[in-house]
Amino acid sequence: MQSTFVINLARIAIIIAVLALWEVLSRTGIVNPRLLPSASDTFVTLGDLLQRAAVQKDLMVTATEVLAAFALAVPFGAVIGFLVAENRYFADVAKPLLFFAFSIPKSIFLPMFILVFGVGFAQKVGFGFFSTIFIVIMSTTTAVESVKVEHLTVARSYGATPWQTAFRVYLPSMLPVLLEALRISMIFNLTGVILAEMYASRDGIGHQIATWGENFQMKQLLAGVVMVAAIAMTFNELVRWVETRCSHWRM
Amino acid sequence: MQPLANVTPLKPAARAGAIEVKNVGQVFKTRSQDVVALEDVSLEVKPGRFVVLVGPSGCGKSTLLMMMAGLRQQTSGTITISGAPIPQPDPDRVGVVFQEASLFPWLTAEDNVEFPLALRGVPRAERRAKAQDALKLVGLDGFGGRHPHELSGGMKQRVSIARGLVQDPPVLLMDEPFAALDEQTRMTMGDELLRIWAATGKTVVFVTHSLTEAVYLADEVIVMSARPGRIVDHLQVQLPRPRTYEMLSGDAFGALRDRIWRHIRKSA
Ligand SMILES: Nc1ncnc2c1ncn2[C@@H]1O[C@H](COP(=O)(O)OP(=O)(O)OP(=O)(O)O)[C@@H](O)[C@H]1O
Ligand SMILES: [Mg+2]
Repeated sequence: MQSTFVINLARIAIIIAVLALWEVLSRTGIVNPRLLPSASDTFVTLGDLLQRAAVQKDLMVTATEVLAAFALAVPFGAVIGFLVAENRYFADVAKPLLFFAFSIPKSIFLPMFILVFGVGFAQKVGFGFFSTIFIVIMSTTTAVESVKVEHLTVARSYGATPWQTAFRVYLPSMLPVLLEALRISMIFNLTGVILAEMYASRDGIGHQIATWGENFQMKQLLAGVVMVAAIAMTFNELVRWVETRCSHWRM
Repeated sequence: MQPLANVTPLKPAARAGAIEVKNVGQVFKTRSQDVVALEDVSLEVKPGRFVVLVGPSGCGKSTLLMMMAGLRQQTSGTITISGAPIPQPDPDRVGVVFQEASLFPWLTAEDNVEFPLALRGVPRAERRAKAQDALKLVGLDGFGGRHPHELSGGMKQRVSIARGLVQDPPVLLMDEPFAALDEQTRMTMGDELLRIWAATGKTVVFVTHSLTEAVYLADEVIVMSARPGRIVDHLQVQLPRPRTYEMLSGDAFGALRDRIWRHIRKSA
């Protein structure tokens, strides 16, 4: 009890120290405030931005793209991952190829996505999907492989039906790995969509951030960075919270 | 023997529990060749007997047990449990206790024991009651709420045994259940198993690599030879029960153990 309290205190202290350092560097002019607006100014700007209809619309656009890409990539990748893990022949053929594909930086394909889909919703969702699917496939494969043969034999020896085996053995075995996969996939997905927006787009928060950068609007730029970072961290922490609740037995 | 009058579902089974294995063979077809794992194995186990299977590694002990459990079909011959063949697992006739790590780590001890009942849709209250009785029988009263990672190796195996007993099958098959335990725990678990066996009257088929454990536990020891697995000896252990630690150093005990060892050395 005591130690987690102290650890949390230390964490908060570090965050405050970083913000204070940021504030001081900017206020004292050690770093040019035109390059690095102070923390307080940034947060005030952030509050302003969040109230602007244009920014709200950009956030909605990005959220829709991210969710669409995620909703496509996760089930699609999970099914492929499951087939790869469960089917010997499929695994032998596909596994090395997937590893090759995974190792390629996805960003180099962005120009091709623009050529194929044009600039717009489809291009960004498509690229988000493409950035995410490989990690989903690989994580699902790992998750299926984490199911112990002994557990499957136990289920079989007590007469479990395929459905019972799926829900009472596969699912709980895989759940911790799957949740972790979900979390990491979202990081890849968000990166993909925002990169696509920054590269070529007419709307979305990524596009806004890129524009602020080009126009040298440092306050807005930093506020945008803080905004996206906060959204990403919130999602991450939410899934992590579910993760720890579901995998307490993995100690 | 302990009084267990109030342990309702685990009463001794009457005539059920006989095992008959006749001319059984098992051939595994692999990519490169056919592996003859078992050849012409025949044996008979009377209800309520404690039979131990020993033999060199890879001689087919687990394979034979899997076939008795209906988890694998023999290539030739017949197997009957309580007088009927066993084409697929039948938890009403056969309970299986596996080596280790076979408990579901995400379930509590109690839920693990209830698992076989949950699969058949037994109502919750009845499930609870039966699991409690089984846990009491294996000496784990009050530990039902713990997860496997909160239990010692010996306690985990007690839970596995409780899970094997919860549906009250007349036959209990155990594949090296204590192999992962340290020697002291293993001795205690042996005594515990004998107590449970005496209280429930199950037919037990028990696989082990420890010759001492084999003689200590068994009514009968079946010795198998290296691949292809065949039965090379079937000996009766006439030592009185309850078995005691002192018997381990007796002449009768030593003679039985030597006889088994000579078979195994020959075939290895
Ligand atoms: N699925 C399988 N495919 C091919 N060969 C198999 C298979 N299962 C078992 N075997 C072979 O059959 C033989 C018997 O295996 P089994 O596991 O029954 O031996 P065992 O007596 O239990 O060994 P151990 O004492 O090491 O547990 C071994 O030679 C093994 O390699
Ligand atoms: Mg074995």
